[in-house]
Amino acid sequence: MAIAGGFIWLTVIGLLVHATRHERTPIDERIASRLIFWGGAAIPSLLLFLLLGYALWLMPGLRPFARAGEANGLRIEVTGEQFWWRVAYHPADGGVPILSANEIRLPVGERVEFLLKSTDVIHSFWIPALGGKMDMIPGRVNRLSLLATKPGTYRGPCAEYCGTSHALMTFTAVAMQPAAFGEWLAVRANPSPGASLPGRDIFLRNGCGACHRVAGTQAEGGVGPDLSHMGSRGTIGAGVLPTDDEAVRSFIAHPHLIKPGSKMPDFNMLPQQDIAEIASWLKGLE
Amino acid sequence: MHVNWKHLAIGLVILPVAVLFATWIGFFNVGASTGHWKVTEWFLHFAMRSAVRTYALTVKVPDELPRYAIQPAAGHFARGCAICHGAPGEPRSPAVLAMLPQPPDLVGKVGEWTDAELFRIVQHGVRFTGMPAWPTQQRDDEVWAMVAFLRELPMMDQARWRDLAYGSSEPPTGQTRGLERALADCTRCHGTDGLGRSPATPVLASQRETYLFESLRAYAAGHRQSGVMGISVTAVDPALLADLARHFSALPAPATSTQPDRARIARADEIARRGIPERDVPACLGCHGRPDRNPIYPELSGQPAKYIATQLELFREEKRGGTRFAHLMRNAAKNLSDEDIAALAAYFAQMSRAAATGTP
Repeated sequence: MAIAGGFIWLTVIGLLVHATRHERTPIDERIASRLIFWGGAAIPSLLLFLLLGYALWLMPGLRPFARAGEANGLRIEVTGEQFWWRVAYHPADGGVPILSANEIRLPVGERVEFLLKSTDVIHSFWIPALGGKMDMIPGRVNRLSLLATKPGTYRGPCAEYCGTSHALMTFTAVAMQPAAFGEWLAVRANPSPGASLPGRDIFLRNGCGACHRVAGTQAEGGVGPDLSHMGSRGTIGAGVLPTDDEAVRSFIAHPHLIKPGSKMPDFNMLPQQDIAEIASWLKGLE
Repeated sequence: MHVNWKHLAIGLVILPVAVLFATWIGFFNVGASTGHWKVTEWFLHFAMRSAVRTYALTVKVPDELPRYAIQPAAGHFARGCAICHGAPGEPRSPAVLAMLPQPPDLVGKVGEWTDAELFRIVQHGVRFTGMPAWPTQQRDDEVWAMVAFLRELPMMDQARWRDLAYGSSEPPTGQTRGLERALADCTRCHGTDGLGRSPATPVLASQRETYLFESLRAYAAGHRQSGVMGISVTAVDPALLADLARHFSALPAPATSTQPDRARIARADEIARRGIPERDVPACLGCHGRPDRNPIYPELSGQPAKYIATQLELFREEKRGGTRFAHLMRNAAKNLSDEDIAALAAYFAQMSRAAATGTP
């Protein structure tokens, strides 16, 4: 491509130099109109038409998920919500999806198909390091195929203005070696072995489970983010704060201060001690 | 004398000064004993009728007046209204009759107003007359219940009035004291069995004690808005609220009947257990209906459907306060549709206490 580009550049510059240096002798009008017709209309149209045909021929290659059997079959469903990401890993064998939120892990060297949805307004899914943006549109499923070539932790922002806390809606994408990814996913398929600390009972007692799910407990709510393995995620509140005790406590007490427009109600009417117990239990869910 | 613009202008400047001066020296008699001048009386009445008529244009009248709720309206009328307007078989005190303007005996007057105009008067009161506004502007449902009651008032005989307003309780005489007196007042509407004497009244029997106590405190502090309960609770010695909560909580739970509307119940059951995640409606049973949940969360099973529906609508319109946990329900009810509310109301009304405590 560099060679072709250099060649075109040299040609254009050469013509320019020629035009400025060359004697200014007016050419015949008939030759001039023929030059304009061929050089300005016919040849460019032909070239562009050929290039278009070539591009269309290449296009299916951009969507390898369309070719059955080639991808490893893992599909990750990501739903944009104000202002967080609902994540479900659909295993290749069609088993029970593994639920998570605000963090996406994917195996290096394997194409992963993303199913992108939204329940409220238009969001846009974007991992700049891995590929282009794809809008998440209510009522539609948009598909995107990504291939991570290097292990690493990448940031993914919401790339379409979606409301007050749009700028606070991010996720972490972690590309892992396939073996490590398989292990990680297998762990996620089961409830966290997190001890039955007093925080769990306080969490359930106050009805947190009406909105949040924590696998292996009575908490089966599907409104807010799944908290089953919250302690193993690096951030809380969709990338707003690090997962440490103080941050979790503040988020429970007044989510609106940390994330304006959040749909979670404040829980600062709970005793401080209860909030601390819930926070330490959630943080321990790894 | 020839009057020109100059004289007129000077007159206009002097007139207010003269009126102010007359007022300052006490020329205008504010005593009620002699009544208004005829012209003043005509003008004030004319202004009042016109304003009520005009402002009533903005009132949205329900398809049907809530006749099911006239019992608590009567109970409230007995405490808040009868002293000035009288009631069947209850003559007014001469002191009230000496008010200016004299509060009308409603039997003959109610028919002169439309429903919307009555609503307007009860909701907002009337300036300069001693007619107060409803104690809260958040409870249209209570005001409509009062309008429904007023419509029935002209035909009401003494026996029916006494039954509606007092039930089996005697009208408070001032003889009894303390808890007994307070209980007698509660049971006028809530019934001695705590089951409520109308479908608009919640079942207090076997309700969770913490919830009852915190709700009474919320009414007293004005955090839960109600003209009816606000007045009733502030009349009670705050030290008795805990006893009242304990009393009603200890009464036996209501018997419930199953609902024939299976489809509706099934839909509500789904909402109650799983919520409506796509509309951010949490699962009702995440908080309600289990003994190991926070005791400040009320028991809903066996509550009258009308009561549940009204509370959900108030929550949805952000007009319902309550305990310090009430904002959770405003959040939860925000996206409920009318059908959801009707289904959930029917669902919890037919649910028996035993079913409610099962695992969701």
